[in-house]
Amino acid sequence: MHALTRHIHPGWLIIAPLFLLVVTLYLGPILNILWLSFTDPEPGLGNYAKLGQEGAQLRIVWTTVRICIITTIFSVVLGYSIAYAMVHAHRQQKSYMLTLLLVSFWISILVRTFAWLMLLGRKGLVNVTLEDIGLIAEPITFMRNELGVLIGMVHYMIPYAVLPLLVSMQSIDQRVMNASRNLGASGTQTFWRIYLPLTTPGLVAATLLVFILSLGFYVTPAVLGGGKVLMVAEYISVQLLVTLKWGTAAMLAAIMLMGVLAMLWIMSRFMKLSTVFGGATR
Amino acid sequence: MHDKQFKKEMLTESAHAYKAGRMDRRTFLALCGASGVAMNAVLAGDAEAAADYVVMWNWGGQSEECHGSAIGDAFTANTGKGLKFDTSGPLEGKIREMVDSGNVTADVADADLFNAVSLGPTGHLEPIDYSVVSKDKTLPGYALEHGVSVILYGYAFVYDTEAYGDNPPQNWADFFDVEKFPGMRSLYKWANGSLEAALMADGVAGDALYPLDMDRALAKIKSIKDDSLYWGSGSEAHSMVVNGEVSLGMVWQNRGRNIERDTDGRYKLVNNQAMAMPGAYIVPKGNPAGAAVMDFIATAQEVPAQLALLDCLGMTPSNPEAFSQIPDDQQPYAITSAMNIDNIVYNDPDWWGKNGGDAVNAFLEAIS
Repeated sequence: MHALTRHIHPGWLIIAPLFLLVVTLYLGPILNILWLSFTDPEPGLGNYAKLGQEGAQLRIVWTTVRICIITTIFSVVLGYSIAYAMVHAHRQQKSYMLTLLLVSFWISILVRTFAWLMLLGRKGLVNVTLEDIGLIAEPITFMRNELGVLIGMVHYMIPYAVLPLLVSMQSIDQRVMNASRNLGASGTQTFWRIYLPLTTPGLVAATLLVFILSLGFYVTPAVLGGGKVLMVAEYISVQLLVTLKWGTAAMLAAIMLMGVLAMLWIMSRFMKLSTVFGGATR
Repeated sequence: MHDKQFKKEMLTESAHAYKAGRMDRRTFLALCGASGVAMNAVLAGDAEAAADYVVMWNWGGQSEECHGSAIGDAFTANTGKGLKFDTSGPLEGKIREMVDSGNVTADVADADLFNAVSLGPTGHLEPIDYSVVSKDKTLPGYALEHGVSVILYGYAFVYDTEAYGDNPPQNWADFFDVEKFPGMRSLYKWANGSLEAALMADGVAGDALYPLDMDRALAKIKSIKDDSLYWGSGSEAHSMVVNGEVSLGMVWQNRGRNIERDTDGRYKLVNNQAMAMPGAYIVPKGNPAGAAVMDFIATAQEVPAQLALLDCLGMTPSNPEAFSQIPDDQQPYAITSAMNIDNIVYNDPDWWGKNGGDAVNAFLEAIS
């Protein structure tokens, strides 16, 4: 017993139940998926080889990545300006803004997706109003295409971008900006050279969060894409449930997981990830 | 609403009575069945009563109520067994997963006949016991080793009478003709029905569709891609039409009546060249209720159940004996009615069971 406690810190005992839970409930299934991707329908690298051979699967992965990049850019830029406005608004207004943000954050993705259909659909509020005013003769096709998917995804992702940015902006010492202005920098210069670099950890956190969450989007592309915007999550679900190509599904899931891990690893080469996730900058 | 409340109270009362021994099990179950909420047997907290049931795995929504009243009541009356539901939708992957995991909780799945072809040989389904279930009470070719067609649904289309009122589209060739009939159209996202419609539009005869010429079908599908949307569920197909997103919409024919009603007759159903799809009951391997489920399937084949399913869900009878009894107001909507039966085509579950997976992927590739 003594020998044991000398090598293993007793603190491990406290986290052991959680640790075991995570390993069995999380790592186990993930390894199972990896295993499946090499063994179904037959052992070997067949599923991965197919990704290279079949243009379709590669195209779906590319569509997903492309949509996620565009979503991330728009969400983070819009989120940045919202967070900026919130930090600099009066206390009262700021709490209003935060409430609105959180309300939209809490509303189910299904409701938000179908709301866009009501608003921007062919016979939606916007198109009908514009037609009644006489501004347009034919309804604008906002929905059931890639534009629709992007609108829905950006809207869903904005709160995820705002929250880390808000935290990061709030922790900035305002006196630094005053010093910058005092030393003769213009407002624009202060923003680009002082403020923006100081918020980089928040920016990176928001980007990572939005991008990674976007990769798994299922409902929004399925509904707002009109069947023409096929992203990996929906494709995986079809392979699991309809075509029974579980090996293909597992392979794609594994690729997405590896992609995300690789992205985190590359980021970690350039910066301390712990600062992004709220750790101390040291 | 009050009706439901009343039923609930009645069942709670009778459950108490049953537990206290003031009512026998049969009466209690009959009451449960009669109110369409057989799973209340469990609410009564009695293990014996709870185990004495068949679990039907269906798609939720209205089907729970309808399967209860159309089949469940008669089944309970015949056998004294109750009917419970799992409404999570028995997709092929879920059935396979359930059987592979060894924890089979459903007795009968409201699935497609092609599922019987693909899941049967891999050992995921119980064979149908044709000493209990009748091969004559379904269409020829639709009573297979591991599944039997109990209803038919169809891929048909609706059109906007305001757009094409004077010269309405009459067949799949018109549906695919964007010159003559401009406007958006909607097709099923998971290939089924869409491929056959494309081939018929391209001039293939309805009885010479199989094996499907995939290249030809996909070329036709792609030719109207810019004018097409694709739906993944019956409700999505419904809303695309009702919200005016499409002028021509492929739909499951059983939705036709509701669409006509919801649009005040603006959209009209065309059942010419409708693709009859055998909806089948299949039994997951090792189902908990065992052989009792065959009685349930046999009950569903009977004419009263067949007509009740048509009335409640719009699902067309597959028992030829019921064809002649389809009521007049259902004639336009039931694909095996005297009005439609000569103009429909039949799905080949064997082809879909063997080639469906690849066909779905090729279709998704073509439309995305």
